[in-house]
Amino acid sequence: MTEQDPGQNPDPADAPVDPLFTHPASPFIRTEAPAPVAFASPPSPTPPTALYSTWITYRTQFEFGLAVLAYLMVLVGTVTVVQANPEAEWRYYIALIPVAPAGFVIWLFVKALGRLDELQKRIQMQAFGFSFGAAALITFGYGFLEGAGMPHLSWTYVLPLMALLWGAGTAFFTWRYR
Amino acid sequence: MGSWDGVLHLAVPVKNRLRLLRAELAWSQAELAEHLGVSRQTVNAIETGKYDPSLPLAFSLARTFKRQIEEIFEAEPIPT
Repeated sequence: MTEQDPGQNPDPADAPVDPLFTHPASPFIRTEAPAPVAFASPPSPTPPTALYSTWITYRTQFEFGLAVLAYLMVLVGTVTVVQANPEAEWRYYIALIPVAPAGFVIWLFVKALGRLDELQKRIQMQAFGFSFGAAALITFGYGFLEGAGMPHLSWTYVLPLMALLWGAGTAFFTWRYR
Repeated sequence: MGSWDGVLHLAVPVKNRLRLLRAELAWSQAELAEHLGVSRQTVNAIETGKYDPSLPLAFSLARTFKRQIEEIFEAEPIPT
């Protein structure tokens, strides 16, 4: 019996080779998530850079721009209506309507102040303090000059004056912390 | 009052090693500011000693650099 039974000692070379893809994509076979990478990524020396959208970066400017635009549109509309109806009894109510978008602008302003960091808040506090004090000094000073004969100025100039001084104060105190 | 006379001195000058620690990590001021959630101007003002951060921000700095606060900030000795 020199002839061997081929079923008992099969030649490894004759063994059937598994095809490369034994399990093609099938909805009936549960697949596993790929194993994690053996070596984790090295820690990055720099912090991950956050991607900010244009809306987040310029949020304050967008909000202010839209709110001021709404205010101006309402203002022009109400002034037109009030001028066209100078004798109407309801003109006072119409004339007060721009206060609503103006109030919205103030609300946005306070919210924007809340988003500042601690140094920026300190700078704003100093700028507001400077603006308040300097405006008081200037208005009192001009009040004395009016008593001496200078022409009378409308009190509506006070708010633009305070805004101007606030801007100057912000620039100055920002420069001081530079 | 330049001398220690028993009065509580509230404005204790504080030095910090922020610029050195930031240089060790090779971070820019803007990168550190973004990491801390503050403006770059605030980081610069702290580094130059023009502004002392609040306690929460000081703790954030300590956590960022994995140091104790005392390793970053140091109070100047009381003048004698």
